Amino acid sequence: MTEKTTHEIKAEKGGMNPYYAGVLLGATLLFSYLILGAGLGASSGIARVGAQAALLFSPARTLASDYFGSWGPHPLRYYLAFMLAGVFFGGLISALLAGRWDFSVERGGKCPPGKRLLLALVGGVLAGFASRLANGCTSGQALSGSALLLTGSLLFLIFLFAGGYAVAWFVRRQWDD
Amino acid sequence: MIETFFANGTLDTPAAFLTSLIIGILFGVALEQAGFGSSRRLSGIFYFRDMTVLKVMFTAVVVAMLGICYARAFGWVTMENLYSLHTFYGAQIVGGLIFGAGFVMAGWCPGTGAVGMASGKVDALVFLLGGAVGSILYNEVSPVLGWLTSADRGVVFAYDSLGVSRAVFVFSFTVIAVGCFWGAEYVERKGQGRGEHLGTPFLKAFSVILVVGAFGLLAVPEAPLVASSGSSAVLQEAGVLTGLEAGSDHMEPWELADRLLAGDRSMVLVDIRTPGEFAKFHIRSALNIAVTALPDLLAPHKNNGLIVLYSNGMTHPAQVRDSLFRLGFGNVCFLTDGLKGFLDACLKPVSLRAEPVSPVLAVKINAWRAFFLAPVLAGETTAAAAATVPDLGSLTLPGMVETQWLNMNMGTPGVKIVDLRPQAEYNAGHIPGSMSLNLESLRGLVNGLPSTLLPAVMLAEHFSMMGVRPTDLVVLVCTDKRQDGTLVGMACERLRHGNYALLRGGFSKWVAEKHALDTILPSIEPFQYPVPDRPETFTVTAKEVLAAMGRPGTVILDVRPGDYFTGKKQDEARGGHIPGAINRPFNEDVTKTDTYTEIKSVDALESAYGKLIPTKKTPLIVHCRTGHQASQTFFILVRLLGYTDVSWYDAGWTEWAARPEFPVAKP
Repeated sequence: MTEKTTHEIKAEKGGMNPYYAGVLLGATLLFSYLILGAGLGASSGIARVGAQAALLFSPARTLASDYFGSWGPHPLRYYLAFMLAGVFFGGLISALLAGRWDFSVERGGKCPPGKRLLLALVGGVLAGFASRLANGCTSGQALSGSALLLTGSLLFLIFLFAGGYAVAWFVRRQWDD
Repeated sequence: MIETFFANGTLDTPAAFLTSLIIGILFGVALEQAGFGSSRRLSGIFYFRDMTVLKVMFTAVVVAMLGICYARAFGWVTMENLYSLHTFYGAQIVGGLIFGAGFVMAGWCPGTGAVGMASGKVDALVFLLGGAVGSILYNEVSPVLGWLTSADRGVVFAYDSLGVSRAVFVFSFTVIAVGCFWGAEYVERKGQGRGEHLGTPFLKAFSVILVVGAFGLLAVPEAPLVASSGSSAVLQEAGVLTGLEAGSDHMEPWELADRLLAGDRSMVLVDIRTPGEFAKFHIRSALNIAVTALPDLLAPHKNNGLIVLYSNGMTHPAQVRDSLFRLGFGNVCFLTDGLKGFLDACLKPVSLRAEPVSPVLAVKINAWRAFFLAPVLAGETTAAAAATVPDLGSLTLPGMVETQWLNMNMGTPGVKIVDLRPQAEYNAGHIPGSMSLNLESLRGLVNGLPSTLLPAVMLAEHFSMMGVRPTDLVVLVCTDKRQDGTLVGMACERLRHGNYALLRGGFSKWVAEKHALDTILPSIEPFQYPVPDRPETFTVTAKEVLAAMGRPGTVILDVRPGDYFTGKKQDEARGGHIPGAINRPFNEDVTKTDTYTEIKSVDALESAYGKLIPTKKTPLIVHCRTGHQASQTFFILVRLLGYTDVSWYDAGWTEWAARPEFPVAKP
C-alpha cells in the first residue's frame, strides 16, 4: 500500500461515489434534452464572454467578423451563457456545503505556482480555441453529443483522449509532490 | 410529446435562460460532487492515477443515452425536437486533439473550470481567462480555417456510420462502458491500491442495471419500443408490433416499382431525405416532405390509401413510421432497404448483376429502368402522387418559375396559379386555371396600423378559401409591379408556406410568348389551411427598429425612392428617414426589357448589395412606406441572395413619420 498524500485524502473526503455522481450528471443531461431540447454546454459561455470583451474593445470590428459577428451585439443573451453562470453557482453551493472551498493554486508540492498557472493559461487558450473549432467541449460534444450517438461527437471524445495521452508525459511534473 | 424550447424556437427567451440557469446549477452540483473541482483529480485519468473522470463521464453518457432512447420509444421526444450537433470530421478530430492537449496541460475543461473557480482554485480562473482568449483567437483566424470547418456532414449517427442498428450500437456501447468501469477499478487497485468498487456487490448490481436497460432496447430492433406496463401506449405499441410481425410495415422494392409503373393511385410515396438529396435523385412521383411536417401534410391521407416512406436506408423511415403510427396513422409503411436497395433491386442494369437474371425479370428491369430513369416529362400525371403534388425537384423555392415551366405544369392540381392583376384585366383573359386575388384583401388595419399584412390566422382563412394546400406550389402572376407578387410572398412566408414562386416576366411575358389564355373561372376545392404553430419572426415593430437604431452592426435599409429618403418629397406627417438608415430604392432592383419588367440578375444584385451590406449574416431591417416595396427587397435579399438575418418593418414610414416621439433624420 502506498501512502496517501494529503491531496488525495482531501479529494476523497466527502466525494460522492463516482457512479452516483455520473447518474446525477446523466439525469441532468437527460433533463436538459427533454426540457430545453438541447444538451449541456460550457465552452460556448466562455466564448461569449470573450465575444463580449471583444465588443467592448472594438465593437465595429467584432460585429463585422465572421464568427463573433454572427452572435450579434449581445452575445451573452444566449442560453448557454446562463447555463455557465448556473454551473458556477451550482459548484459554489456544492463546494461550500461539502467544505471543499479552498483558495489555492492546485499543484504538485514541487511545482512552483507560476509554472502551474502558465500551464493552466496555455491549456485554457488551447481548449478555448479547440472548443470553437469543434463547436463544443467535454460538455457539449463529448458528453451531450455522445449521448445522442453523434458520429462527430464520439470522434471528438476519442481524439480528446488521444491528444491528452500524447501530451500527458510532458506536463506530468506539475503534479509531483 | 414534450414541446422542447428548441422545438418551439424559444431558446432565446427569458424562460429558456432561467431554465438553463437552473440546469446549469444542477450541472455544477453534479460536477462538484464528482470531485471535479480539483484539477489534480481531473488530470488523474491521463496518468492512470484516478479514473473518476472515466467513471462519471461514461455513466452519464450511458444514463442520458438510454434515457433518450426510452423517451423516444415512449413518444415523448423525437430527434427533430432535439438540438443535434452536426458532424465535421476534420474540425472535430483536430479540435479533439488540441482540446485534449489543453485539458491535460491545464487539468481543467470549461465546465469543470467554472466549478474549480467556484471552489476557489486560482488555476481554474486562469484557465477560464485563457479559454476566452482562445475563443477570441479562433474568431480572428476562423476565416482561414474553412478547409476544416466547411465540410458539414449534417446530423450523422455513429450507428449509421458503422452500419449497425441503433439498438445494437447502444447495447454494445453500454457493455463497453461497463467493461471500462471494471477496467478502471482494476487499474486503480493495481496502481494505487484503491479501486474500492472492484468486485463489490454495488458495482455488480450497477453493471447489471445498465446492461439490462440497454438490452430492453435491443429486444425490439430498429424500433426500440418498450411496452410500459399499464400505460395507454401499450395498445398502440401492440399495433406496431403486430404490423412488424405481419410484415405490413414495409414494402419490397419490386412491389413499389410495379405499383408505380402501373400508376397505382391509392399510394402516396414520400421521400424524407433532405431537399438537396431529393433534387439529385428521387423515385419518380415521390413527394419530398420534411419529417416534422409529415403529420400535417399527410393528414388528408390518414388511414386512406397507403403511405410509403423512404430514405437512403431503413432506420430513419422505420422510426418515422412508428412515430406516425402513434399519431393514429395506420396506413404507413416504408421501403425495404431504402433507396439504396431500390436502386440495387430494380434499377441496376441486367449486365452489371452478379446473380443470374431470369428472362422475365430482365424484361421487368428494363421496363423499370425506362420508367424510373427517364427524364420526367413536365405535366405528366401518370403516377398517383404526381396528380396531387407537382414535381418541384427542379425548382428552387421560394423563388422564380419560368413561363415555360408553368406552361407545362399548369394542369397539375398541386399548382395553384394566383393572378394579382386588377379584376377587370383578369376577366378579359388570364392564364388557364388561375385565380384572381386582390392583394389588398391580405392586408388591413392591424393594431391601429393601416395597410399591414394580416395575422397568420386570417391569412390561413384566405388560403383555405383559395383551396391552397400546404404542399401546393403557389405561382404568383402580376403585372410589372414585382412587389405585388412579393407581398403575397410575405403572406406565404408568414404561413411558413415555402412553396411559392413568382412567374418570371409576369403576365406580360406570358402574353408576349403567346401562351394560352382563357376566361373561365377555375373550380376550387376548399381546404382548411393549417395555421402554423410557430409564428414567424421576420416582422419587426417600430419599437424593435428603435432598439436596433443604436445597435452597431444592424443595417436599416430604406427602399423608398431617393427623394422621399432625403425628405425632398413627403406624403406623410414628416419627411426624411430613420437616423442611420441607408437608401436603396426598390426600383433600382428591377430592369425593363421591351415587353416586361423583371428583377435584375442575381449577379447584378449580389454586387450591388455586397457594396452596401458587410456580410450576408449582417442583421438587416428593410422598410418602405407601407411594407409593399420593401417586400420585394426582402424577397431579393432572403430568397434570391441568401441573406440570413433580414427583418421587415411592415408598418414602415406610415407609422414612423406619424409618431412624433420617433427621431427623424434629414440630410
